[in-house]
Amino acid sequence: MSTPYARPEALVDTQWVADHLNDPKVRIVESDEDILLYDQGHIPGAVMIDWVQDLNDRVRRDYLGREGFEALLSSKGIANDTTVVFYGDKNNWWACYAFWVFQLFGHTQARIMNGGRKKWIDEGRPLSREAPVYPKTAYQAQERADYKIRAFRDQVLAHVLARGPLVDVRSAKEYTGELLHMEQYPQEGALRGGHIPGAKSIPWAKAVNDDGTFKSVEELKQLYEAENGLRPDQNIIAYCRIGERSSHTWFVLTYLLGYPNVRNYDGSWTEWGNLVGAPIEK
Amino acid sequence: MPTRQESIDFILDHYEHPRHRGVLTDASLVLQGGNPGCGDVLTFYLRLGADGRVAAVAFEGEGCTISQAAASVMTDKVLGLTLAELTTMDQEALIDELGREVVSTRIRCATLALNLLKTAEPQFRSRGRNGAAGPAPDAPPA
Repeated sequence: MSTPYARPEALVDTQWVADHLNDPKVRIVESDEDILLYDQGHIPGAVMIDWVQDLNDRVRRDYLGREGFEALLSSKGIANDTTVVFYGDKNNWWACYAFWVFQLFGHTQARIMNGGRKKWIDEGRPLSREAPVYPKTAYQAQERADYKIRAFRDQVLAHVLARGPLVDVRSAKEYTGELLHMEQYPQEGALRGGHIPGAKSIPWAKAVNDDGTFKSVEELKQLYEAENGLRPDQNIIAYCRIGERSSHTWFVLTYLLGYPNVRNYDGSWTEWGNLVGAPIEK
Repeated sequence: MPTRQESIDFILDHYEHPRHRGVLTDASLVLQGGNPGCGDVLTFYLRLGADGRVAAVAFEGEGCTISQAAASVMTDKVLGLTLAELTTMDQEALIDELGREVVSTRIRCATLALNLLKTAEPQFRSRGRNGAAGPAPDAPPA
């Protein structure tokens, strides 16, 4: 019998979603890297939230503000007491990213569907091309709280100088500086390669099984604690290239292992690798 | 102007039924490129005829729906053009054809194929100067 996740309420399986397709208190949200996957077929009743169009500020590199978040959720028929279940492609990268942004605004009634879009399809579950329209709500959000689960570059630099624990979740070749982006991806986006000094290399994908579901608590503790020395009492910063893969690791550490102080540095390597004078290790 | 749904249907048709997808073993020019935003990668194969115009085209690649569909759309456009004419192809017209509302947040994906094809002429000329290996065209580009 495997140990239960620290906060098991944050994760649901595909059967749970299938059982709640018509639950008015549940809104299923697809978030993908590929913007048109949703249009090729999605979980019946699901709405789409796009990380570029919906979650990012359209001018500056930042997230939408409180009013924008309220308008977005209201337009998707999400109320303050709605349970939002995220799923998506790429082993839920963007689902975790959207989940993380929702936490910036305090929407704690949020879940990730374990295994994401691929598992739902692999199980032969139904897909729909119909984009549902729900009655508009009057969602009220708190101001975006950047201080608790988000890290900025100056905070990261102070963290480095204090020898605080950092987790680099990119691939091994990105960590060493051999590549500026994942294998098979065009090598753009940063002028320098390497990693933030002191960061442990723990690629995000080590936290998932072949079917995209998360590994067990025992396996995750072996990875993060036994092999890499992380502890739940630490103040940890995770980063990748633009913050999407590290939001996946942030979810794992925070919700599956129960670490209370993990922040996602969404500036990540596309900021750090371009910063003049920033310390880099190879 | 097409509706949003018409644009999506157009893109998905090209994605699910790509035109000229494959490899040309006798290509005069092979173009490779990618997009860091989505991990899109494309390879275009162009064979030039005796008149210096594109006589055959093929592409292969991986990536998001928009990038692969746009590559398929472009294959129909380049047939019969000279390499010089490829450099004048209009990005805004392509975006309108794909559906500006749909692709506006993924412009790099939508224009990856177009911008890659625009490099055909300089790459061809560079290859000529460098003497790189590859099948010779039947005639120099116009």
